[in-house]
Amino acid sequence: MMLSDPDGVAHLYVHLPFCASRCGYCAFVVEVGQEHQRDAYLDALLMELERERAVLGPLDTVYLGGGTPSLMGADRLAKLLAAIGPLLAPGAEVSMEANPETVDEALLDAIVNGGVTRLSLGVQSSRPHLLGVLDRRATPDDAARAVALARAAGIGALSVDLILAVPGQSPDDLAADLEWVSAAAPDHVSWYELEFKEGSAIARGNLTPPDEDMATDLYLAAVDGLEAAGYRWYELANFARPGAECRHSLAYWAASDYLGIGVGAVSTIAPRRWRNAPGIDRYMAALAAGDAPSRTHEELDADTRRRERWMLGTRVDSDLDVAWAGPPDRPAALEMLEAEGLIETGPGTVRLTRRGRLLQNAVVQQLMDFA
Amino acid sequence: MDQSHIRNFSIIAHIDHGKSTLADRILQITGAVSDRDMRAQILDSMDLERERGITIKAQAVRVMYTADDGETYQINLIDTPGHVDFSYEVSRSLAACEGALLVVDASQGIEAQTLANAYLAIEGDLELVPVLNKIDLPAADPDLHARALADLIGDDPENVLRISAKTGQGVKEVLEAIVTRMPPPRGNPDAPTRALVFDSVYDQYRGVVAFVRVMDGYLTGGTKLRAMATASDFDAEEVGVMSPVMTPIARLSAGESGYIVTGLKSLHELRVGDTITMAAAPATEALPGYREAKPMVFCGLFPVDSDDYPGLRDALEKLSLNDASLVWEPETSQALGFGFRCGFLGLLHMDIIRERLEREYDLNLITTTPNVQYEVTTTTGEVVAVRSPVDLPSPNHIEQIEEPYVRCTVLVPQDHVGAVMGLCQDRRGNFVTMTPIENRQQVVYDMPLAEIVLDFYDQLKSRTRGYASLDYEMIEGRVGALVKLDILLAGEPVDALSMIVHRDSAFARGKGLVERLKATIPRQMFEVPVQAAIGGKIIARETVKAKRKDVLAKCYGGDISRKRKLLEKQKDGKKRMKHVGNVEVPQEAFLAVLQLDENSQ
Repeated sequence: MMLSDPDGVAHLYVHLPFCASRCGYCAFVVEVGQEHQRDAYLDALLMELERERAVLGPLDTVYLGGGTPSLMGADRLAKLLAAIGPLLAPGAEVSMEANPETVDEALLDAIVNGGVTRLSLGVQSSRPHLLGVLDRRATPDDAARAVALARAAGIGALSVDLILAVPGQSPDDLAADLEWVSAAAPDHVSWYELEFKEGSAIARGNLTPPDEDMATDLYLAAVDGLEAAGYRWYELANFARPGAECRHSLAYWAASDYLGIGVGAVSTIAPRRWRNAPGIDRYMAALAAGDAPSRTHEELDADTRRRERWMLGTRVDSDLDVAWAGPPDRPAALEMLEAEGLIETGPGTVRLTRRGRLLQNAVVQQLMDFA
Repeated sequence: MDQSHIRNFSIIAHIDHGKSTLADRILQITGAVSDRDMRAQILDSMDLERERGITIKAQAVRVMYTADDGETYQINLIDTPGHVDFSYEVSRSLAACEGALLVVDASQGIEAQTLANAYLAIEGDLELVPVLNKIDLPAADPDLHARALADLIGDDPENVLRISAKTGQGVKEVLEAIVTRMPPPRGNPDAPTRALVFDSVYDQYRGVVAFVRVMDGYLTGGTKLRAMATASDFDAEEVGVMSPVMTPIARLSAGESGYIVTGLKSLHELRVGDTITMAAAPATEALPGYREAKPMVFCGLFPVDSDDYPGLRDALEKLSLNDASLVWEPETSQALGFGFRCGFLGLLHMDIIRERLEREYDLNLITTTPNVQYEVTTTTGEVVAVRSPVDLPSPNHIEQIEEPYVRCTVLVPQDHVGAVMGLCQDRRGNFVTMTPIENRQQVVYDMPLAEIVLDFYDQLKSRTRGYASLDYEMIEGRVGALVKLDILLAGEPVDALSMIVHRDSAFARGKGLVERLKATIPRQMFEVPVQAAIGGKIIARETVKAKRKDVLAKCYGGDISRKRKLLEKQKDGKKRMKHVGNVEVPQEAFLAVLQLDENSQ
């Protein structure tokens, strides 16, 4: 059984669930129209942090995700960051998500002063008609303005989120996004294929996703375009200028331990994973009463951990160390996958080829017996 | 009872023309079933039968009826199965009767099966009483259909009874007609016992229960009896009548119908059509007409989950206890693993068995393409019976292949005659005759049975908007230019997809099938050629393109368990796939064969 890091958990996730509206593709734990609860929520969050801080070592990375973290407002963010500050290791990465339309100078000053080193802007698309499909509130102008403001505020690293394979998206639309990226010149890009997640509005509607060939073409166009612009395709959906990789995300893909606080947040401290229940009222009530929030727990046995390491470790472009991950359930598949040009093996290492990366799911299924 | 006061009769009717309702009404009027106990359609005992509106198993019910002449009669209603697959059983039920009600829906008219069974009854010298049912329906056209019915049996339209079994109107007149128009039995009560078995069922507590009509002599409980064809001796543990539940009586005399509890352990020991006699004083000659039920349609049944193989075997064993016409033997397929080659009387019989296996025994099955039995003469002069395409000898060892032909009778409104003839021509039919029956045509073709077992009936119904009805009877084997069509996936032949087809249609079928397979087989990690071949020669090819993208979009700390579970779920889905070499084939692919014709049109 893999035990937790003796130096303490080095990665903290903080969930800030408030949103002005729910986007069509969203199935996350978010709270719409509950802004009056922000102070009480922040109190609860800090209480949970206090309860759990014993497991933490010096924090190498912190991630403030949402929801729309920027919707917390400058003062509350400053208070939160002040509580986290003393826990940080030297050189720690502190990321925060923000929606372009919620970013202003005051907010940016507050977070930069509070220690945020990395801002991730939810741009999603540069095309108005696709922003409409996605129910996003920001306009392309908002995004450009937010980038400029963030740069001016002296944010360390800037990332943008984009979505591809949106119903109605053409190769020209994608080319326009690439041009937008060139102009905005962020340090990091996360470009996700749209998922029709159960529970999201888009999955309930009558929009049809692009077929496999179209989606593949769009995906490859994004990869090729960003690589040509000097970004490294370091994870299946993530691209970075050299040295601008997201260390917090890399920790997930390295199957490291992390603590997640806030409503709906997930923590993994081997051999256990737990998830705080959704619903901010119950979350705040439990903490106000001095209790832990309601949680669901999952025990991760050695086989599950091994399969997860393969599932996560093959997402990144670096070699997977087989001694670290543990042997595949079906080692014979390695040879077959290599013969098919989907993986490359070295002494004790496996890495996916370009074609293999687009088939990562199938490759992992060949190697491991999930279920 | 004195034979002059006995009547044995059947009801001949098409599905849904009201046989069960009429039977129920007769039970009610004669007081055999009280109104309170009246359960809709007593005679159809199995759920499945009720759902499909057909009767698989015949039974006999005795009622007592006091007629207008003041006399009380014993009336035995002998039920008949209502589908073409069971025509032999129908013929035995009719052989137990002196008369039959020919019941026709006054809005629909005569259907092909009614016609076929009416001919059977006429050949057996039964007195037919024509009855138009459902005259209360707005769409009823009693005059037209009465003329057709009268024409068919050479009677006067005036003699056609017009009733509504639903409301009870005219049912009393039906009972009077049974008594006055149908003759009584004329058996010899003093001759050695001969009783015709017209049906049998297996009861897990009482063993085989035979339904019989005593022709000569008598039967009593406690005597030693003999089934003449199977030469099995057994004790009559009980004799009785259904009135309508099992009621023991002391004696079944010449002319009467009833049941015998035999204690036999399998229906194979006592077959429909056999003659029962006394072991101590046997009859010298059995009653005519016995033959063994012969399976006509074969298919492979394979459990989707190979762990279910023993369960499937147990289920087939249990079903055969109660179904002597179901035959099966183990079969191994490279693609589908261990299963059974099963033989059925016909397509409906196959559907019923498969549905019962899935429903009553909770099995998930893959059915391979149904086929007929071929008589193959090899170059060495040997004759081999081939029930599976896999068993077909290689082409250079085949001298000739003979396939079963049926005479196929379709009754169809004039407007749709062209569609019917087109379909029959497409299916290698040879035109025999066409005869008008009032506003419809009776179209007769001789056709290979193999062409009917695929989806002929569905096609017939869809091309005539449901107006055509079909009946067929076996005629003979005929030599045909037949070849084995193989399907290859990624170069590997898939045994479970092979079929025997006529050479002239091989190309169209092969092309249609590979197209359909291409649409059914999901993209794999590698390109998969789908080919149709005859004797190693590729006649059609499609390609399932390689999968280009299969990736879980974003995956952070909150997503890990969800993504893992997604992979686990996908794995479960893969388990239901069949592996042919490296290719994962969904079960639907094995059914693609059945939809061939739709596709190739």
